[in-house]
Amino acid sequence: MRSLRCAVLVMIAWLGGFAAARAADLNVYTIWPENYARPMFQEFEKQTGIKVNFLRFSSGEALARVIAEKNNPRIDVLFGGPVETFAAGIKEGIFEPYKSPSFAKLAARFKQADGQWMAIADDPLVFMTNGAFLKANNLKPPASWDDLLDPAYKNGLQMADARTSGTAVTRIFSVLEVFGRDEDKAFAYLKRLRQNVQVYTKSGGGGTLPTGLGQAAGGIFFIVDALETKAKGYDVVVSFPKEGIGTSAEAIALIKGAKNREAGKKLIDFATSPAMQAKFAEYKVNFVPAHPDVKTDPALAEVLKGARIFPIDDEYAGANRRRIVDRWVKEVLPAQ
Amino acid sequence: MARARSPSWRGIAGDPALLGAVAAIWCLLLLLVLFPLAHLLERAFVDEGRPTLAPLLDSLADPGHRAAFVNSLILAASVGVLGTAVGFLFALAAVRAGLGRRWLTVLDAAVLLPLVSPPFTTSISIIFSFGPRGLISHHLLGLTGVSAYGFWSTAIAETLTYFPIAYLTLRPILAAIDPNLEEMAFSLGGSRWRTFRTVTLPLCVPGFANAFLLLFAASLADFATPLILAGNAFPVLPTQAYLQITGLFDFKGGAVLSLLLLVPAVMVFLLQRHWVGRRTYVTVTGKVGQRSRSQAIAPWMQVVLVAACVAVATIIVYFYALLLVASLVAAFGADYSFTWRHYAVIFTEGLPAIRDTLIIAALGMPLGGLYGVLVGYLIARRDFPGRRAMELVAMINYALPGTIVGIAYLIAFNDPPIALTGGALLIVACYVFRYSPTGIRATVALLQQIDRSIEEASASLGAASGETFRRVTLPLIAPAFFAGLGVVFIRSMTAISATIFLVSISWTLITVRILENMTEMALGPAAAFSVFVIVVVFVVVAGLSAVLARLRTPTAGAAARSFLGG
Repeated sequence: MRSLRCAVLVMIAWLGGFAAARAADLNVYTIWPENYARPMFQEFEKQTGIKVNFLRFSSGEALARVIAEKNNPRIDVLFGGPVETFAAGIKEGIFEPYKSPSFAKLAARFKQADGQWMAIADDPLVFMTNGAFLKANNLKPPASWDDLLDPAYKNGLQMADARTSGTAVTRIFSVLEVFGRDEDKAFAYLKRLRQNVQVYTKSGGGGTLPTGLGQAAGGIFFIVDALETKAKGYDVVVSFPKEGIGTSAEAIALIKGAKNREAGKKLIDFATSPAMQAKFAEYKVNFVPAHPDVKTDPALAEVLKGARIFPIDDEYAGANRRRIVDRWVKEVLPAQ
Repeated sequence: MARARSPSWRGIAGDPALLGAVAAIWCLLLLLVLFPLAHLLERAFVDEGRPTLAPLLDSLADPGHRAAFVNSLILAASVGVLGTAVGFLFALAAVRAGLGRRWLTVLDAAVLLPLVSPPFTTSISIIFSFGPRGLISHHLLGLTGVSAYGFWSTAIAETLTYFPIAYLTLRPILAAIDPNLEEMAFSLGGSRWRTFRTVTLPLCVPGFANAFLLLFAASLADFATPLILAGNAFPVLPTQAYLQITGLFDFKGGAVLSLLLLVPAVMVFLLQRHWVGRRTYVTVTGKVGQRSRSQAIAPWMQVVLVAACVAVATIIVYFYALLLVASLVAAFGADYSFTWRHYAVIFTEGLPAIRDTLIIAALGMPLGGLYGVLVGYLIARRDFPGRRAMELVAMINYALPGTIVGIAYLIAFNDPPIALTGGALLIVACYVFRYSPTGIRATVALLQQIDRSIEEASASLGAASGETFRRVTLPLIAPAFFAGLGVVFIRSMTAISATIFLVSISWTLITVRILENMTEMALGPAAAFSVFVIVVVFVVVAGLSAVLARLRTPTAGAAARSFLGG
């Protein structure tokens, strides 16, 4: 029995040591899906020799975790994800302001004035529909928010759940902008849209594959996920509403109390500079670069041509996020 | 169980090994079972130092939450009934249809698959088989407008996942019913149907009750299937609690929601103890005398039975074949060219998850096995104050739905004084205390069949209690040890409901990666991970079964069954 107890104690010590040893690298929660984030982190490691440990969460989950760990931060940098998530994070006091060398060059909407967060990309929402579905129902790709209310889409759309996904929150704020921030009108629309929604998914990209397979007729996604679906060979059509649709800056921020502060700053330097954003095209990651010196990939620019896209006001979104999401959960989700 | 002495403080004080073991177990139970649960209750019912029912009443006033509560009960009851029916069908076919050995092996393998799989496998396949353009609903049957989301798909997925528990519960009971008994009724002029109705079925009633309750509890606690399949029209409690906490960072709301699960879970547990307490282990005596071939079921009925089982087994095998295909093609549904890419992905990018999961499973296995045997031994063989209390407390985490346990751990161990979240230790502890009770039960059952006099002989020859345990009892209960080991390993590889709250940047798990891949619709890696888990678990289970077979203890077979049934 005694030797057993010794073995257990040794094991506990070893496990503690294991965790500590791994903490020496840079620790990151990424809101970008792994297949977008990983190549960027590999490039970073190539250039700096710093290894990035990361875990992927939907933005709501990532935010909730960082808040929960506030007293004992486990990560150094929150990477990617729509700006409204970061705006909400400022209110919780979870970030440490940092201005990378690119700060001065970025447009005003791509940075928080104090450097609480900075943008690493721009990511417009799009409508994505299944080609075969459109043909079978004799429909044109939806070109207006009202087109999505067509009964042909009944029980056919998939989009993200506002409780977990920043894609969803950006979508809801887009609708608010379209209705001139008249919340009642916007929610009346959202409730009508609900009638055509098959399921709300945990992640922003959750509905892309069902749409590609024709299991869903379509949905509202970030362009990066939509074009990825198309690139995989699925029969999908990307379109934009004439009333306009929101685009969200994808941001990065240093965590307050980060254990690897300097390495974290290096990652922010890298991510906000052309060093990373010029790689988007190479890895077929269809984000629009936020840095003015990086040209948008021509193929992506072609898709965006003529689309009416407006930025989501991060201050307004950050201030109202919680309330709007609560209202969505209470009013829209149960509306059948 | 006859007990020679009444519990006494003096007895325990005079036996340092016993005292040490009891004290150690109580420390662990206090820290890792009672402390988190107390925290959860406090979070839900105490506001700024004052007790309050307001959060609970708020939660009950929310029609969405009430619907989730009712839905959870409806789903659990449906899965209980459907799963027990399918399980009984399989048990009947296995025991009474006169199948050959090879056929039985095939059936057993098909039944085993859902038991050793990660939780989303059936859900993934259902999503792709049904729905507006589903492989079965549209391409095969030509239906349109079918939804893959909602009550029915969730209930069917859970039934297919959990019916093997009913099968494993009912099969030994059916096997223990002497065919001669049916024969007698038959020869006395009863029709086959009447015999079946008045002899066979009544004898199975305790088994039905047990199977139903096991399935009810499993479904009540299931979080993964509804997350993928229930959709928004059919919210259930575990998923709502999860979204409340991880999405909205509402610990209080999540705690209250998870506590709503507590009431039915505890009721089921108590009912099950009541029903099964006296009956379970009577059937593993192996006393079916001569194996006279049963006449109780008409030959045509046997054919129908076997056909029904083969149909269900075919569906299961089809689901897993789909998964295998998805793991081996470039983009399921669009590009069916063969590729190893997804496996390359899981063994490079997914390697940390694989490594962490295997380390955690490897640690949990021996600890869980030892803990189960030790507690089982103390409960069944030793007298000390608080023995019954220990038995009950040891069962708590097992009886509670994983969501509750996970949330309780998260709340209790997130901040100092005992900040354990983020480490492997907490995940291991979660598995050990949640899944070892199977080992405890197996130990108790084994010990009930081993005569006390063997141990008493050792004691009277002068061995201390620690030595008697090590040299006499331990070898005798080795099968229970391996059974406990097996359960903890299988669950470490496949469980998610509790540990999804405990993964961290340093320690992550395959099942959580599968969920993440699933929700990102990165189907290839999700499928490849699932296939990997199934293969590893199959290999380990086969290895453990071989060990159990070599032990040649009369009770080893029962132990082997119990590690799958748990």
